Amino acid sequence: MRQLGRFYLIAILLFLYTPIAVMMAMGFNESPLYELPFTFSTRWYEALLSNQPLLKAGANSIIIALITAVIATTLGTMASVALSRRTFRGKSLLQLLLLPPIAIPWLITGTAMLIFFYWSGIGRGMHALLIGHVALAIPYVVLVVGTGFKTVRADLEEAAMSLGSTPVHAFFSVTLPLLYPSILGAALFAFAVSLDQFVISYFLATPGYTTLPVQIYSAIRKGFTPEINAISTLLLLGSMAVILIFARFAKPGDTRDKR
Amino acid sequence: MQNDQLALAQTRGSVDPRVKRPLPAWVSTTALLLPTYGWLTIAIFLPLLTMLAFSFMSATPMGKTPVEFTLKQYRAFIDQPYLLRIGFNSLMMGFWTTLFCAILGFLAAVALVRATVGKTRETLLVLILLPFWTNGLVRVFSWTMVLRENGFLDNILHMVVPDAGSISILYTRYAVVLGLVHGYLPYMILTCYIALVTIDDAIIEAAASLGARWWTILYKILIPMAAPGLISGAVLIFIPVIGSFMEPRILGGRVGVTMGTVIEDQFTQAFNWPLGASLSFTLLAVVLAIFATFSGVLRGRTAG
Amino acid sequence: MTEFSRRNTLKLMTATLAAGASFSLLPRKVFAAGQITVLNWQGYGTDEAWSLKQFTEKTGISVVHDYYSSESEMLTKLRTNPGAYDLVVLNAARCAQAVAEDLLQPIDFSKVPNAATVDETLRGNPNFSKDGVGFAVPWVWGMTSLAIREGKPKPESYKALADATYKGRVAMDDDAIINVGIGALMTGQDMNDPQDLAAVTEALKSIKPNVKLLWSTEDQWNKSFAANEFDLSVFWSGGSVRSKRNSKLPVEFVVPKEGAVGWVDGLGIPATAPNPEGALAFANWLIDPAFYVEWATKVGAPASSNSAALNSLPADDLSRQVHNPEYLKTMSIMSALPDDRREAFNNVWQEVKAFYAE
Repeated sequence: MRQLGRFYLIAILLFLYTPIAVMMAMGFNESPLYELPFTFSTRWYEALLSNQPLLKAGANSIIIALITAVIATTLGTMASVALSRRTFRGKSLLQLLLLPPIAIPWLITGTAMLIFFYWSGIGRGMHALLIGHVALAIPYVVLVVGTGFKTVRADLEEAAMSLGSTPVHAFFSVTLPLLYPSILGAALFAFAVSLDQFVISYFLATPGYTTLPVQIYSAIRKGFTPEINAISTLLLLGSMAVILIFARFAKPGDTRDKR
Repeated sequence: MQNDQLALAQTRGSVDPRVKRPLPAWVSTTALLLPTYGWLTIAIFLPLLTMLAFSFMSATPMGKTPVEFTLKQYRAFIDQPYLLRIGFNSLMMGFWTTLFCAILGFLAAVALVRATVGKTRETLLVLILLPFWTNGLVRVFSWTMVLRENGFLDNILHMVVPDAGSISILYTRYAVVLGLVHGYLPYMILTCYIALVTIDDAIIEAAASLGARWWTILYKILIPMAAPGLISGAVLIFIPVIGSFMEPRILGGRVGVTMGTVIEDQFTQAFNWPLGASLSFTLLAVVLAIFATFSGVLRGRTAG
Repeated sequence: MTEFSRRNTLKLMTATLAAGASFSLLPRKVFAAGQITVLNWQGYGTDEAWSLKQFTEKTGISVVHDYYSSESEMLTKLRTNPGAYDLVVLNAARCAQAVAEDLLQPIDFSKVPNAATVDETLRGNPNFSKDGVGFAVPWVWGMTSLAIREGKPKPESYKALADATYKGRVAMDDDAIINVGIGALMTGQDMNDPQDLAAVTEALKSIKPNVKLLWSTEDQWNKSFAANEFDLSVFWSGGSVRSKRNSKLPVEFVVPKEGAVGWVDGLGIPATAPNPEGALAFANWLIDPAFYVEWATKVGAPASSNSAALNSLPADDLSRQVHNPEYLKTMSIMSALPDDRREAFNNVWQEVKAFYAE
């Protein structure tokens, strides 16, 4: 059974990484039109090194995504506490209100933001960009952390409180550690939402400021070259390294393993 | 503005002499909810209300053309009956994608919880979520290279069976669903994993030692435990998929016409924001109706 | 509901200004005397690094870019960002709309000396002017017609799109206006105002067995063509030159007997431009033979509106061969469409696409 499970996980990883492997391979392929057969070349990595706008866009994207992930995870987790642990009137309505940002295509939300921010004086720029990114990421955080709450028993927290712990202390010492996988997962999603977000960045960034997705989406008119594959590969390997190192040395997650 | 209110709420709570130590519940509830919903109000709800207003107008209210109040945008499904078929196809696309993600994702979560431990499990989980961090468009383009005639898949097949024909499925509905499943599967794996991770091995071992068959364990223990995860996963997948336009457009070729592409066309090509907005809100209404029915059924079952 | 014109918008803005003030992280733009902001498609001539370097060296004006990915987005950006842009690239058909909304200011052609040799037909395009006042400098023109893989039977008419010879080997441009235009030409009607839209719909539907895919970007076209996914396609003249020369693709641009669907892009100056002088200087540079020859031969460009620039190209240049000025006389140029007609065109194309997808 255990063997079968591991075999299945490997199959899933193979499926998930098929296009990623192709993406990485094509970054080393000579043809600008992604033609086969494969001819090894590092020309796209060389081109990338001198492509300042693309590198800068990549850096901007990471910064925005990091800030977004931190803010959205914090706010979303707070909201999730209230939505999962409290009873109050209008709760279902609040839960329902999380769906429009997911359901309405980004293009429409983005257009709506552009107009509304113009009318309300919020304007364009980095602040507008962050307002938009965080707002789109929050519902994902609330839903993911909310799922975690459903499986963490509320009576543990109550038990701690009955033993004299303050609610805040009980939350931080009992519930939060148990929620750790959900919150981490939510943060990873928030990061991903921001990293993939182009419409809003397109509409709300000031001229001259650009992010990686914007570069990618506007490059499709011109024809995007394997430089995009190169920078995507570097970005992915970089984040993979950071996360794996973090996972190995930082706070151990589920310490109640059997062995 | 939000902070003021928040501070106000807090001072009010502490001034009240009767509740000296713990703040009244509503104060902390409000304090917990206010940042999120305040943020969403400014960034999403108010802008979308503007769009909602647009959807009742005869033309995009940004130009000089006089704009009138009209309900005609919401009549589009009657005036242009082919939209019904497109809408139905989009719902089916959402259904199949969600179904495949649910099966694959649930099993992956079970495998993660039952067959791995500790660091290996964490590493695997991170590896599953990481493809999400590559740009969606780049991923979809990579799929075209795998799936097209004489693409990677064909090449691999021809290495094994040199004179086999092409098994290209690019520009079919299968390709669209494949691309969508790939894009959204990590959501389902994560939500199911979160739901299952607290499961006590002892329960399953006890059940097994009492002679329960594997399918009994599956139906009586694992699926009920994973239910919250399956539901949030379905929300996170079904909803965006029926409005998606990038995957259908690039992987679907001629058959890649969905509500998402129709709406996108209204905004980028047709300059008809009111119609695009009304279609989006109709879609939203359908989605909410589906989930309302669905959660009603679920609630009815647990109650009964 | 009354019109949501700029007056109302202004009222709304003043009303919300107080609220907005607390949010006043508003980007305070400092306009360097020698800076202009250009709004254009990305990678469409104005943002070539070598050109900007030469221009800045010449005039001391530096150029910043903002991009749009659809024409509707371009208009939205113009409307919602007063004072942000100095120069905008826009299609003749959109220009009329922008002028009608007072988004553009009249062009002082005396500051654009290169405009003297701009082709008459283009300068006289009614969409670029209002009451005899020019609102845009015609920049480049091109054609949308057919592209065929070398060695395949050459189409003589748009009807070839429906010909069984090309079963499953046709790619269509996913653009409502272009396709209705082609359907109109297939059925012998006026491209800008076809009277019998039902016939257009039928003509487009008849292509279905041949249609392999709908392309929406030049990049997608190139990659699919390189992967041998189709032979015959609706395509752009400039795109075919770039594909053939830069990507070495075996493609040939064909204008069938019905004529091409022509388009002209112009350079307009927003009414609220902070630096119109700089914008005029840049517009002049963009139709300068020196810039054009380098752009056309290094990168690949549509045809310059400036005949002097077009004539400076080497005689054997591919772009020059494809963009024969004779076509200017025979092709129909896409013009501004009234709202109801544009809506009707879009509905036709949506219906046809739904039919393709069945």
